[in-house]
Amino acid sequence: MEYSNLRRQAAYMKKSLFDQGYLDEQFYQLEELQDDVSPNFVEEVVTLFFRDSARLISNIEQALDKCPQEFSKLNAFVHQLKGSTSSIGASRLKNECTRFRDYCDEENLEGCLKSFQKLKREHAVLRQKLESYFQLLRQVGPVEKATRPSM
Amino acid sequence: MEPSRAAASTASSGRPRNALRPLSDFPAGLRVLVVDDDLTCLKIIDRMLRKCLYDVTVCSGAAAALAMLREKKGEFDLVLSDVYMPDMDGFKLLEHIGLEMDLPVIMMSADDGKDAVMKGVTHGACDYLIKPLSMEALKNIWQHVVRKRRNELKELEHSGSAEENDRKKRAPEEGDNASSGNEGSWKNVKRRRDEEGEVVVQEEVEEREDPSTLKKPRVVWSVDLHRQFVAAVNQLGVDKAVPKKILELMHVHGLTRENVASHLQKYRLYMRRVSVPQHQGRLDTPYTGSSEATFRSVDSFDGFDLHSLAVSSQLSPQSLTTLHSAPRRVTNTSIGMSSVDQMGFFNSSAQISNASNIRPPLMQQINKQQMNFPSGPSTSMESRQLGQSQQLIQSYGNMGLQASEGASVLLNLPSLLRTSTSFPGGSINANLSNSSVMQMTHRGQQFSLSQQRNQIHASMPQLPQTRGLILNGIAGEHDSRLPTTIGQILSNEVSSHISGRSGSNMNVDTSLPGGYMNASSYGAVSHALYADFPNSCMNESTGSCYPLARSVGATSLTSTAMPPVGDVEALGNSTGLRGAKDFVPNYDLFSELHQSKSQDWKLQNINVSYPSDQHLGSKQSNIAFGSPSLAHQDSSATVKDGSSRNTRTVRKEIFSVRTEIGHEKGERIAQRNRTILVENSVRLKSEGMSDPRYQDVLFDDNIIQNELMNVVGKKQQEGVVQVDPELNFDGYSLDNIPS
Repeated sequence: MEYSNLRRQAAYMKKSLFDQGYLDEQFYQLEELQDDVSPNFVEEVVTLFFRDSARLISNIEQALDKCPQEFSKLNAFVHQLKGSTSSIGASRLKNECTRFRDYCDEENLEGCLKSFQKLKREHAVLRQKLESYFQLLRQVGPVEKATRPSM
Repeated sequence: MEPSRAAASTASSGRPRNALRPLSDFPAGLRVLVVDDDLTCLKIIDRMLRKCLYDVTVCSGAAAALAMLREKKGEFDLVLSDVYMPDMDGFKLLEHIGLEMDLPVIMMSADDGKDAVMKGVTHGACDYLIKPLSMEALKNIWQHVVRKRRNELKELEHSGSAEENDRKKRAPEEGDNASSGNEGSWKNVKRRRDEEGEVVVQEEVEEREDPSTLKKPRVVWSVDLHRQFVAAVNQLGVDKAVPKKILELMHVHGLTRENVASHLQKYRLYMRRVSVPQHQGRLDTPYTGSSEATFRSVDSFDGFDLHSLAVSSQLSPQSLTTLHSAPRRVTNTSIGMSSVDQMGFFNSSAQISNASNIRPPLMQQINKQQMNFPSGPSTSMESRQLGQSQQLIQSYGNMGLQASEGASVLLNLPSLLRTSTSFPGGSINANLSNSSVMQMTHRGQQFSLSQQRNQIHASMPQLPQTRGLILNGIAGEHDSRLPTTIGQILSNEVSSHISGRSGSNMNVDTSLPGGYMNASSYGAVSHALYADFPNSCMNESTGSCYPLARSVGATSLTSTAMPPVGDVEALGNSTGLRGAKDFVPNYDLFSELHQSKSQDWKLQNINVSYPSDQHLGSKQSNIAFGSPSLAHQDSSATVKDGSSRNTRTVRKEIFSVRTEIGHEKGERIAQRNRTILVENSVRLKSEGMSDPRYQDVLFDDNIIQNELMNVVGKKQQEGVVQVDPELNFDGYSLDNIPS
């Protein structure tokens, strides 16, 4: 059935996201928070995350451009980013944030620049993957709950 | 998706926020305030907490959170705050909250480094959660609320027994508080807390429930309230101020003429005491046991301070008791300062310091006398909650500073302690978790007040002189230091038994648990606490005492009259400086202290890191605090205002705090100390520490004082005041209520 196919696809997508390390257990926590009261909680949070993180990333980019030696500032930005990435379970992105922060601590500008590029890439990739995932989910309908629109 | 409430006015279950929750479904309905600048995290945590059936309010900024907390005091049970925030450091917020509201605060951060966590601990956070948060972690945060209440009750019980006598003299409700506090079960605690929260937390005297049905609620002379009172008195003219007219001028709903009358009486006593310090003789008086009365008042003050101290620093109930009940002996010499003694001493010192605060020369004297404290406070400082005291102290410092904005100088101390106020100096944060917290952490570790406790041997007889000297020295130099030390000591020592009121040696060693420092020791302690000045004469730096108090939770503060850190100032301000009108809002602090009731008076958080770093005569203080904690790097610790005033006030405060301290939580103790200091100052200050410098410096102190006062005041409300009617001038330093 179309529906079950979609569901299977969605499940598969999710599994691969986990397997490839894009997501971690924290994402499960988010899913658990989703219920009848907040049926789209996960997607909402993820959307909010990408909006915030995009802003932070552009701040970092600006800082790297204009005042690259201000490592403490960079550190502050990435710390914030790290907080939210870990909250949604974006594991690879979080790791990249950690690496970036380490470079900041070492005041290694080149390392920072390189790491930042990776960070941006990870961010973009994750965004795209999650967007597809949620798109699929929307088609599938609420998976967890018993109530499902009859197809 | 249920919207996150930015400012919830109703519980998730639909009940009004301030309504008592049915105990049966606890922890459901626990009122949590979440502060985090990261919206994603905020949303997630909000959802998680709601899943736990908590009543959640979210806030994305620290300043907004603080405003909300202030506005809706008593409407929250717990605060969850992120560490890294753009507008205010999470630790600072922690301090503020601890000082002002005395709520349990849990820190969160993605940073799981040991240092970060340690910082949280030393700043007085109840817990430190690592992000990303999980449901499991959040499910059990209610335990902190329960624990805190239980501790408060315990303090209450402990101090209650000692103060029973005092209490009996007071309004019956005091006893009620104590008795209800003895129930112990968290339910009772909770209920009582809720009830009392209603009563006690109020800045104004507004009882939410019908007072007549419960025990007669005590009037909490918050900083604001006291300020209003003072304004009214001044408007009428001190001589012509009669309760009825004052009441009319104050326009405070719920305040009775009797409340005003008793407060006025205290205030008058305080003023008298404060105005005395100018004369050497006067100074000596307290020490040389010149008068029972003096001591007595001092005692009360001490008790009061102690309470505050205790509150802030979590003075152990025992200390409080000791402080409270210990006979006031003038003999300072190496008094094993029973807390009471210390308190007495502290009071004296405080008085002296207060006086000193007002005038440098005076201060000198006081300093001298107070110098002896160093040894004392140190010991007390050890009080358990060094860290806490420190924080407290710091907060105090902050508070005091903030208080200084106009607030009575005296009250500075408390405000300093409170730190919650945005300390100009550097934002000490109430809760002691502010900057001072940082320092506190530092100090907390070093703060081995316990050891120092015994060291503070104030030799009374000489105290007057030494104090003066000390004060001078300190005052001149590190004002800020002093307070801190004192604060520290106070907090720590508060519990440690203030041996001897014997003036000089405030052996702050007192059993004051925490920050219960005799006024004298307070000063001394605070100094001691502040590493800065080993000799920090806490006393002197009344102003500076704040930092002391703050930093060290100087329990020993009790002995030193110097309200450590800020508190001292506040005290000084409040007490002597009546003229100054700037009663440091210590009163508030003190009130808070009172409220904290269950603290064991440990000046735990005396966050010495009192920004205002004034080494009040820390230099001079002979207070051999030896304890490293004294080396409170935090300037905040430095008694802000070397004014001995503080010391003096602190003492009183300490004393009074002592009584209250039983309840206060450790953190509050620092705060309280401040208040105590403030109180002291209020009391002592008859002279009106209008020392502008002091004021400035004390700005933070004031804040602290205010805070302290609030705390103390509140505590007094609880029963500290009971200690000694005259000393308990809860609202002395209300002037400065900076908040």
